This record gives sequence, C-alpha cells and structure tokens, in this order.
Amino acid sequence: MGARPLPNVRLVKLPPAGPLAPHVAPPLLVEAPVVGNVPVARDYLRLTLEAPGIAASAAPGQFVMLTIAREGELAPVLPRPMAIYGIDRAAGTIDVVYRIVGAGTRRMAGWLPGERMTTVGPLGRGFTIPRNARSILVFGRGIGSCSITTLVREATGLGVEVTVVLSARDRDALIGAETCCEAGASVIEVVDSDGSSDPVRLARLLGHAGHTHDAYYVCGSHRMLELAARLAHHPVRGSTATHAEVQVSLEAHMACGLGYCHGCAAGRPGLPAETPLVCRDGPVFRWARTERQDAALADALAVGSDVAAGAASAPETAP
Amino acid sequence: MTRRKAPDLRVRIGSLELANPVMPASGCFGPELGAIVDLNRLGAMVTKTVFAGPRSGNPAHRLDESYGGMLNSVGIPSDGAAGFVRQLLPHYREWRPPTIVSLGGLSEEEFFVAAEQLAGVDGIAAFEVNVSCPNLEAGGHELGAVPAAVERVIRGVVDRVQVPVIAKLTPNVTSIADIARAAEAGGASAVTAINAVLGLAVDARTRQAKIGTTTGGLTGPAIKPIALRCVWQAARAVQIPVIGVGGIATVDDVIEFLLAGATAVQLGTATFTHPDTMVRIIDGLAARLAADGVASVSELTGALKVGPARHDLGGVLDASAPETGSPVPHG
Ligand SMILES: Cc1cc2nc3c(=O)[nH]c(=O)nc-3n(C[C@H](O)[C@H](O)[C@H](O)COP(=O)(O)OP(=O)(O)OC[C@H]3O[C@@H](n4cnc5c(N)ncnc54)[C@H](O)[C@@H]3O)c2cc1C
Ligand SMILES: Cc1cc2nc3c(=O)[nH]c(=O)nc-3n(C[C@H](O)[C@H](O)[C@H](O)COP(=O)(O)O)c2cc1C
Ligand code: FES
Repeated sequence: MGARPLPNVRLVKLPPAGPLAPHVAPPLLVEAPVVGNVPVARDYLRLTLEAPGIAASAAPGQFVMLTIAREGELAPVLPRPMAIYGIDRAAGTIDVVYRIVGAGTRRMAGWLPGERMTTVGPLGRGFTIPRNARSILVFGRGIGSCSITTLVREATGLGVEVTVVLSARDRDALIGAETCCEAGASVIEVVDSDGSSDPVRLARLLGHAGHTHDAYYVCGSHRMLELAARLAHHPVRGSTATHAEVQVSLEAHMACGLGYCHGCAAGRPGLPAETPLVCRDGPVFRWARTERQDAALADALAVGSDVAAGAASAPETAP
Repeated sequence: MTRRKAPDLRVRIGSLELANPVMPASGCFGPELGAIVDLNRLGAMVTKTVFAGPRSGNPAHRLDESYGGMLNSVGIPSDGAAGFVRQLLPHYREWRPPTIVSLGGLSEEEFFVAAEQLAGVDGIAAFEVNVSCPNLEAGGHELGAVPAAVERVIRGVVDRVQVPVIAKLTPNVTSIADIARAAEAGGASAVTAINAVLGLAVDARTRQAKIGTTTGGLTGPAIKPIALRCVWQAARAVQIPVIGVGGIATVDDVIEFLLAGATAVQLGTATFTHPDTMVRIIDGLAARLAADGVASVSELTGALKVGPARHDLGGVLDASAPETGSPVPHG
C-alpha cells in the first residue's frame, strides 16, 4: 500500500492545519521499555510499551514512530510509523499491533521485555467523531485494522452505535475482532478467500441492513473507501440522510513523522504547491469527492445500477 | 586529579561564530523538531532548501530504506521565499542558534531572485547555496557539476547578500576539488560537502523502481567513506572552512570528519534514526575532548595522518613458502 495517490480524490485536512500548527498534544521522545511482544494472529504481534506520557495524551487514530535500530546501532536508519492500537492510561502503556512484512517489522518481532526502544508520539491528527453522531460504520483491512481500534473504543464509550467491517485475505489474517467486540461494537468479518469481501456483495449486505450512518471511517483499502463514499453520499433509497462524513486514514513512507522532511506527501504530483503531509496533516483526512466522480456516479445511478457498481474495479491495496 | 578546563567547542565559519561544530543538514531538520529536542544546544540551524517561488515536491514514494542508509527523492517542495519568511522563519527565531538558510534554484537567475528576496531579512545568519540537489528535474544537479557555473552562482549570491555564503557541493562529480575551488573563487565563506549520492533502488519482485522519480539520493552511514573522501579532497583544495556531512551518527564520526579537514559538521539521516543524536553528540564530543586532553575542537581539523601506517616488526619478512604445514586460509 503506502502512498499510492488516490485517484479522483481530494483530501481535506482534518482539522485544518498549517506548518507548525500545534499538535493535538505535543509529541514526546521517550526510551520506552518493552512490556510485552506476543503473537496475536498469523504474522501479527502485539507490542506493549511503557510510555505513560504518550498514553496520557494519545487520541484515536494517532500513531507513533518506532526506531528499529537499538541504542548504539546506526541502522536501519528509518523509524517505522505504527498506529496506536490500544491505550491503557491506568497502566501507562500503549499497544501497537503490527504485521511482519519486511526487515524492520521482522526485527521488531525480536524485541524483548525490558529493552528500551526509541519512541516518538503521539503523532498526527486522528479521527473525529461528529457531535450528535448516533451510529458510525468503520472499515479496516489488513494492517489498516490496527488503526481503527482506538476510534471504536472512543465511539462506543460515547454511546455511539458502532458497526465494524474487518477484511483480510483469509480468516487467519483477520485482526481486531475481539478488541472491537469487547468495546461493544458489532463486527462483520469478511475475507477474500470466500468472496465475502467483494465490495458489491458487501454493499448489498450493508444496504440490506437498511441502516445509514452519521460517519464512515476507512483504513487499509481503496475499494472500501470507494464503498464507504458511495454509502455515505448516496445511501439506499428511502433514507433521508445524505452526505455523511467519510474519514480515511492513509499510509506513506515516513522519515521524521513531525512534518519537516516532506517524505510523506499524500497528493498527486504536478500541483503548484506541496500537497498535504500524511504525518502532520493526517494520517486521517476527510474524504471529498471530485466533480468527475460525481458525474460518473450520476451516470451509474441514471441507469439504475447497483449502489456499489463500479466499486469492484478499484485496485485493492492491502494484503 | 586537577579539573581540566572544559574543551572549547567554538568554531568559525566566515564571520559567523558557532557555539559548537554540530548542526543539522538541510532537509533533515525543521523547528518542528523543537517539540522533542532542545534546539538551543545546536551550533546552528539549517533550513530546508528555499526556492524563490512556491513549488511542489516529487511523486510518491519519496523515501526508501537501503542497507545502512536511505534513498530520498523529496524534490524540494517549497513555499517560496516569501512563504518561508512569513510561515517558517518566525519559528526559527524562537531559538538562539544562528539560522543558515539553504537557497535553491533551477537556473542561475532563480538563485539570484531568491537571494534578493531574502537579503537583509532579520534572523538569517548565513546562506548555504544548494548547487547540488540530485532530485531536481532540471538545472540544479548539472549546474553544480560545472565549476564556472558554480562560481557565477556563488558570486551572484555573495553580491546580493550581506551575510556569509556557503556553497553546498555534490559528490556526483569527477573532481570535487575543482568545484570547491570555483566556490572559493566566487567568494564563498565555506563549502559544505556532501549532498546525497545519486542512487537507484529496484524491487526485484515487482520489477518496479522503488522511488517515484526512479533515481534518488543515497544518504546515511552507507555514504560516510565517500563523504570523508570528498571533505578531505575539498579541504586540501581551498583555504576556506569545509563543513562535513554524510553518514555522521556518532562522536567518532564527527572526529573522523574533523581530522579529514572539516571545521564543522552536519547531521541529516541520523536525526531520523534517533531524533536527539545531535545533542547526544555535542555532549559526547565535549566529554571525549576533555578525556583526550584536547583543549579546542579546532585542533583536530585537518590533523589526519596519511601514508602507510608504521608497523615495525623488528625483522625481515621472508616471502618464500614455509617448509612445513599448509597455508592457513583466510576466512
Ligand atoms: C500512520 C501509519 C500507521 C501504521 N500503522 C500500522 C500498524 O498499526 N500496524 C502495522 O502492521 N503497520 C502499520 N503501518 C505500516 C508500517 O509502517 C509498515 O508495515 C512498516 O513500516 C514496514 O516496515 P518493514 O521494515 O517491515 O518493511 P519494509 O518493506 O522492509 O520497509 C522498507 C521501508 O518502507 C517503509 N514502508 C513499507 N511499507 C510501508 C507502509 N505500508 N506504510 C508506510 N511505510 C512503509 C518502511 O517504513 C521502511 O522505511 C502504518 C503506517 C503508517 C504510515
Ligand atoms: C529527506 C532528505 C531531504 C533532503 N533535503 C535537502 C535539501 O532540501 N537541501 C540540501 O541541500 N540537502 C538536502 N538533503 C541532503 C542532506 O542535507 C545531506 O547532505 C545528506 O543527507 C547527507 O547527510 P546524512 O548522511 O547525514 O543524511 C536531504 C536529505 C534527505 C535525507
Ligand atoms: S514523515 Fe517527515 S514530513 Fe511526514
């Protein structure tokens, strides 16, 4: 996945930020002791770090930068961005759930309790829950599922009805269901291996539920973003709600995480000025439709096609 | 034991005196770092390269990791000189160390426009003219490889500003000594060596170039020997100070660059790895000099010993094979 530009999508900063606009909470640099680092699914581990300062101020959808090089090591040179999966303010710990995909995460899997790892956070702008929201729909796919758990907990805590769709290639790679259920959300698990993650099928399933939501959240899948956008902007016939909010959490290769290296720009090239930075202006953006897409959608609706027709052609982004 | 006086870490770059020789490398720093690191400890602050007008950066991916380093092709997005003065410079002014503004351009003329816009602006202690960016679609790189062009650009900027002008050199040339001499002839107060080494990363599985612009700039520990060589060559070619940069991450690295001829050093990639590396190095350098009985950091500049290291074996080596036994293979 990474910073593949989203075609036909305008990203709206959320909330608006300029250079050096104050972070939601100022980030901290800590040498955080590892409390635990245990497998939770195939190729997934849950890392628990003692970081009371970060735990105290982290908000849903924010992330940390974890340095892979140990104290005294010079490489790997880049720290890894990782969403905050869980926050335990009482214990002063944060959890990160990560998938082993390459050299850095493979090394992380070797971290032992008691080791101190260089950690910077909380970083970025997280999810916002609209005031008076009564129900929200949250999509997570692959490692994107790790970014939404704090949102789910926050929302259920506020009394919001939360439906979570978790998607993966197959059952073994599904992540986050237990955490979301414990928080009180309804969880729908879908996988590629039995076809249930197909956006058209999913759209029908969600449409037949006869339910519209006040906000839609997506992490880890362009196809799900398309789907969420369609559900949010053109809900099933008979419903009154239109243009519900869509928020998407993006990924990009990062070096600093603080907004000064410009390694993580989110936009398409060829624009006259720099596009939003995923680390500083995101990772969560409000999703806005372009006119071209609206026109395409109007065409589709005019011929009476399925709500989700066309969504399936969008390339998939997550393992 | 008698307490030694704390070693003197001060260095001079032209008319500029720095409290210590450690500063960030352009593009690897911003006042945003001040949220987690005390920037008042630094010898100086160096901005990301500023262009005359606003420009966007390069397409994703802009970053990739490589063995002992990283490739970048950020492409110098810039708010332009006016935007820089309005939005970023005030945040540099909140800190005490002098601000060195990195100046960019795709043509000789564009450097001069930027210099005119920034000349005399309060809070700019020096300019570092980036005649070396490997990631620009036109001009920048080639310009930095032509001594006459470098001399013209540096002279043009020197003529337009009142503060010291530093030339930042590219390693992607046949003779960095020639470029350094050209910068000195143009009136530079110092040269910075080196900018990133041009590289390419390939994904064998997808057969795709990993960086959006195909080639990118290699930085980090992997380029240290190249940077040391360039600093050594530049320092022998010019009288003005050399600022060493490229793969520095430890106190030892700093000392190596000083010995090779650097007066001061910059850190780029190492700040990504451990954000407080510069401050740790400043502390470590003071402790090291004190322990080694070095009174002033400037004593180390250019003190490199060259030529064959002397080993007196006190005998004569016989090259003929030993009579018995088999030669021991080297592992
Ligand atoms: C805001 C944010 C939150 C994230 N949260 C999580 C999470 O909670 N759990 C999880 O498993 N993963 C998460 N990721 C992705 C995670 O950062 C990458 O999987 C990880 O960096 C891969 O490192 P590696 O060395 O194992 O892989 P390699 O492919 O060897 O990495 C090489 C380089 O590419 C970068 N890179 C590779 N894949 C990605 C990616 N998908 N996104 C960003 N950079 C990448 C690496 O950081 C490194 O610099 C998140 C990414 C972002 C931007
Ligand atoms: C992400 C990134 C952005 C950079 N941007 C600039 C820049 O705008 N101007 C410049 O002169 N050098 C730039 N550089 C080069 C550095 O200033 C420095 O010369 C190079 O990284 C070598 O030092 P290092 O190995 O310590 O990183 C950049 C380097 C990196 C990694
Ligand atoms: S990671 Fe450095 S600006 Fe976003």
